[in-house]
Amino acid sequence: MNCDDVRARLLDYQRGRLPAAAHADVRAHLDRCADCRRGDAVEQELTWVLERRLPQHPASLALKRRLATQWAAAPSARPWWSRWRPVLVPAAAAAMVMLVAAPVLYVERTLFRARSERAGMIAEAVNDHLRLVTSLHPLEIESGGLHQVKPWFEGRLDFAPVVAFEGDADYPLKGGAVGFFRDRKAAVFVYARRQHPISLLVFRADGLAWPAGATAGGETMVTAERGFNVMLWRRGELGYALVSDLNAEELQGLAAKLTGRSPS
Amino acid sequence: MSTVANEALAYVDALHNLARYLTGNETDAEDLVQETYARALGAQHRFTPGTNLKAWLFRILRNTFLSSYRRQRHNPTVGGLDTVDPNAQGAATEPWLLDDVELDRLRKVVGEELQAALMTLSEDARTVVLLDLEGLTEVEVADVLGCAVGTVKSRLARARAALRQKLKDYAP
Repeated sequence: MNCDDVRARLLDYQRGRLPAAAHADVRAHLDRCADCRRGDAVEQELTWVLERRLPQHPASLALKRRLATQWAAAPSARPWWSRWRPVLVPAAAAAMVMLVAAPVLYVERTLFRARSERAGMIAEAVNDHLRLVTSLHPLEIESGGLHQVKPWFEGRLDFAPVVAFEGDADYPLKGGAVGFFRDRKAAVFVYARRQHPISLLVFRADGLAWPAGATAGGETMVTAERGFNVMLWRRGELGYALVSDLNAEELQGLAAKLTGRSPS
Repeated sequence: MSTVANEALAYVDALHNLARYLTGNETDAEDLVQETYARALGAQHRFTPGTNLKAWLFRILRNTFLSSYRRQRHNPTVGGLDTVDPNAQGAATEPWLLDDVELDRLRKVVGEELQAALMTLSEDARTVVLLDLEGLTEVEVADVLGCAVGTVKSRLARARAALRQKLKDYAP
């Protein structure tokens, strides 16, 4: 590094802005070059006198007051919306939350209500079945066949129960009775599978929260409730609830015979 | 008042000092500073938080000076004595004042002589010396002046060499 190189780097050297290797090179040159050492001293002295003796011209108090007033009072030149940002941001955030949460809450509430209604229907079906099997005289009409049982309901109900399955060796029809399902009368057909009584409740379907599968005309999945299996379905204006302590597969077998569908 | 406004007002002395050395008189310096803050107020949404607010304000002040005050300044000699030619070669061509007499004279120089010597430099030379004294980095000075960092380095070296030459002339 020669004198010109050092001269070009002297300010950076004094300000500590040189890489370590270059800094060391300048340092080594200054150690052996008296002229450059004097130049270094002069530059340092110039910085010293500029920093300490150059007259400074601070702003007057009057100017400072004017500026403070100007900045405090002047309307902001920011974009129009930024002035409302403290209000708009929380409002927009709240709107976004509502947009996201409202449908979720609505669906959740709807699902919850539907689940509650469905659970209520299942519980009601089990209760009706229990009332029947614990009754001393569960059957009001002993079965001599479907052609005896169905006409028996005439005059006892405000609807005609539509049931086509007469019973067979696997699921014999034992008889019938009038029961209640929630707020309405129900025709109760009692079938059996071995020693297991099976209640088929038939009632008006309107005004009840039916599961989607049931309203589409198919049977619902078997649902367990207090050790009983329950199936619900709807056909036209009538609703059906099949209840028993029978296992699910055999209960589905009877449901298939009642609905004319293949067991699922 | 916003945080930016509070911080900006903290630099009013430094801005006024540069304005005073650019315009050469108190009245124009105050007008320049006031105009600078008015422009900064209108453009504060363009300031990038986290960057150097002081350098941003210096840039506005210099641009305001170039666009307004230099055209209509009252004293045509202020800033007109361009003793540092920006097209000249680098500092290596300047006389290398090495004698101990110069060092001794520098130690005795007074404020008025420093100010007078500084006012003989071109506006760019004055600006680069003053911004360097304010502690701005070469990158920040380059941003204020709108030039390359290398240009800042060479301008500063030439300006200081010219200043030393002037001070040598003023010395008894």
